[in-house]
Amino acid sequence: MENPIQDILQLYEYSMSIGKTLDYKQNCDQFLKLLLKRINFNACWIIKKRDDVYTSRYSIPSGKSISADDTTPIQQVFAQVDSHRLFPYSEKFDELCPIKIDQGELLIYNLMEEGFLFLYSKEKCFDERLTCQLLPVIKKFSRSLIASNVFTNQQLLLEQLQESNQELNNYAHVVSHDLKSPIRNIETLVSWLEEEFGEQSQTSDLNYFTKIRENISKMEGLISSILDYSSLSNKQNKEIDVSIKELVEEVCSHILIPDHIKIEIALNLPTIKAARYRLQQVFQNLITNAVKYNDKSNGVVQVGYKEIEGYHQFFVRDNGIGIDAKYHQKIFEAFQKLSASKDSSGIGLSIVKRIVNSYKGEIWLESKPLVGTVFYFTLKQM
Amino acid sequence: MFIKSIRPKKIVSQIKNHVKDNAALISIAENTDVNIDQLIVLLNEAQIEFMGGIFPKVIHNDSINDSGIVINTLVDAVYIGCTQNISNDNTLVLKIDFEDDRDYSLITYVDGLTSNISSFLSNLYQEYGMQTNYFGGGAGSLSLEQRPCVFTGQGIFQDAAVMCIMKMKSSIGVKHGWDKLAGPYIVTKAERNTIQEINWKSPFDIYKEVVELDSKSKFTEDNFFDIAKGYPFGIVRSNDEHVIRDPLIVNDKGELICVGQVEENTLVSIMKGKSDSLIAAASKAAKESAQMAVEPKKAIIIDCISRILFLEDDFQKELRSIISVLHDKHPEISISGALTLGEISSFGNGYLEFYNKTVVVGLFE
Repeated sequence: MENPIQDILQLYEYSMSIGKTLDYKQNCDQFLKLLLKRINFNACWIIKKRDDVYTSRYSIPSGKSISADDTTPIQQVFAQVDSHRLFPYSEKFDELCPIKIDQGELLIYNLMEEGFLFLYSKEKCFDERLTCQLLPVIKKFSRSLIASNVFTNQQLLLEQLQESNQELNNYAHVVSHDLKSPIRNIETLVSWLEEEFGEQSQTSDLNYFTKIRENISKMEGLISSILDYSSLSNKQNKEIDVSIKELVEEVCSHILIPDHIKIEIALNLPTIKAARYRLQQVFQNLITNAVKYNDKSNGVVQVGYKEIEGYHQFFVRDNGIGIDAKYHQKIFEAFQKLSASKDSSGIGLSIVKRIVNSYKGEIWLESKPLVGTVFYFTLKQM
Repeated sequence: MFIKSIRPKKIVSQIKNHVKDNAALISIAENTDVNIDQLIVLLNEAQIEFMGGIFPKVIHNDSINDSGIVINTLVDAVYIGCTQNISNDNTLVLKIDFEDDRDYSLITYVDGLTSNISSFLSNLYQEYGMQTNYFGGGAGSLSLEQRPCVFTGQGIFQDAAVMCIMKMKSSIGVKHGWDKLAGPYIVTKAERNTIQEINWKSPFDIYKEVVELDSKSKFTEDNFFDIAKGYPFGIVRSNDEHVIRDPLIVNDKGELICVGQVEENTLVSIMKGKSDSLIAAASKAAKESAQMAVEPKKAIIIDCISRILFLEDDFQKELRSIISVLHDKHPEISISGALTLGEISSFGNGYLEFYNKTVVVGLFE
């Protein structure tokens, strides 16, 4: 006896089982096992064409894997399945079935780009009413399979990206270590040369030694910076309560600050949960730059804070030489520096940006050449 | 064979004489005062392969027994094993190489009071599919306290299932005889065996309204099952068929705890039974299996313990009607079975299901 309300509710049940997960197999399990429980058929599977070969993507029961070439008889079968079609069993289906069958009927739904869904019943169980009622549900199912595939591909790409990042980190780490060793050897050899020939050398020769030493020192600085940058993701990541005021004071005590430069630290700097070492690197880089590039006779560096929705926002302001607007993005790229300073690697601000980004924050600056610069950065509250 | 002895040595000797070199299916009534651990050790020493379960009652011919042991021979067993921790979703099922053109039967006893039985059965079907018939029931105590209740040579376990796969033809009939009283309703919230919401409302409120009106009884603090045993839920399948779920307990939140899983968004009806319809259904199940069988040697009846609680004295009529149908067609057949906490078989020849308040009749050749 027909019971339209029950039919509608049953379709609701089928529909609600679709797309609860983006995992392809679980998505199929939840929908197709429900169909098997509610409708008296025996098996179901999905076949998809890839590189002119039809392969099974899912099957209950598991059965054997399908790998069928796109031959004329198979093309003829699928050409008849515009949206769905019921076929009595015949031998032409054998290579499209993961399980052994020799009787019954096959109801095939076209899942468009997701292939074809086969429902198999040993005995007659699919009537036209049921097969048509299932159509919108099957349509939803095919869309959910597309979503599952997109999700799977995205996950795969993310994993590959993480692997590549890790490999790059490891590579940078290893290369930096390997480079340090010959640099030290060169330094030692130069010292020996200096000791042996120093007294006999002319002033111009001594200048060469000095130049060599300066370049070695520069090279060491660069390598150390690469090491720092590549170690960021591994090093001292334990998150604890950090008093930013104490941290900034500690950073300032470690920086050589000339007498004509005054550091002003805001009283409202908060205590936040973060990896102390990372925040130390952020403030150390920003304050060092603010001190280093200050050309005023009364230099001022200010460190301040305000809370904005969901974020901590800090700034480091100076009245130094300023930065031209065309460099505002470039300075955050690794090995980009605006001065020819010997003791600058050009990697400091890229480290800062990387750390800030790791806390789901942003960093930017406002600056006027010859007037001064303010670096702002945010850290997501945890 | 029915064993009354409680002496493990004697039991083992009787089993050995009965099954010879075959494996044994052992169904023990829960009030049998036998040391099962010792029995398992002695069966292993006697090199008898076996699987078994403890049930509220066992059936031997037309007698229903609170104590005693029923033995069936498992001929041509290709695998006997145990799956533990089935309440965990990821149970593994052993791969079996089924021969083409051979009939296989799988008998399984599961801990009827554990959760996730449907997922376990689903895993069985995923692996074995249509290559075998499925038959079995839920073991456990009528006290509804979960304790070790299924066993093989590896020991006795709770939250587990034991099973045997045999090269043997079987014919299975399954029926319940409950009719729809009200519904359908949507189970809008559920967690494993617990119905937490029906139609976005307290399931007990909806259930109570329908059942009190029909039964003309009032639910009190301590009579839930006395009334509920006559009003199970039916999970709606296509063609107006139902898979029965027994509500056992109502908790403080008005949620209904059932024997067996009820998933979210399942469509359920409230069912009602009469003695006549239940007995007629049992008879139909027997007829269905008897008609399919060719030369069956034994019948195993898996009948739900809650049918006897509902039918009371009329249960004897149900059993006699099954026996009568089977003996009409196959007079020599031996008859035994168990009263279980849930029943297992395919629905028709399709997917594997865990039922409540249902009778499953299996004829084995």
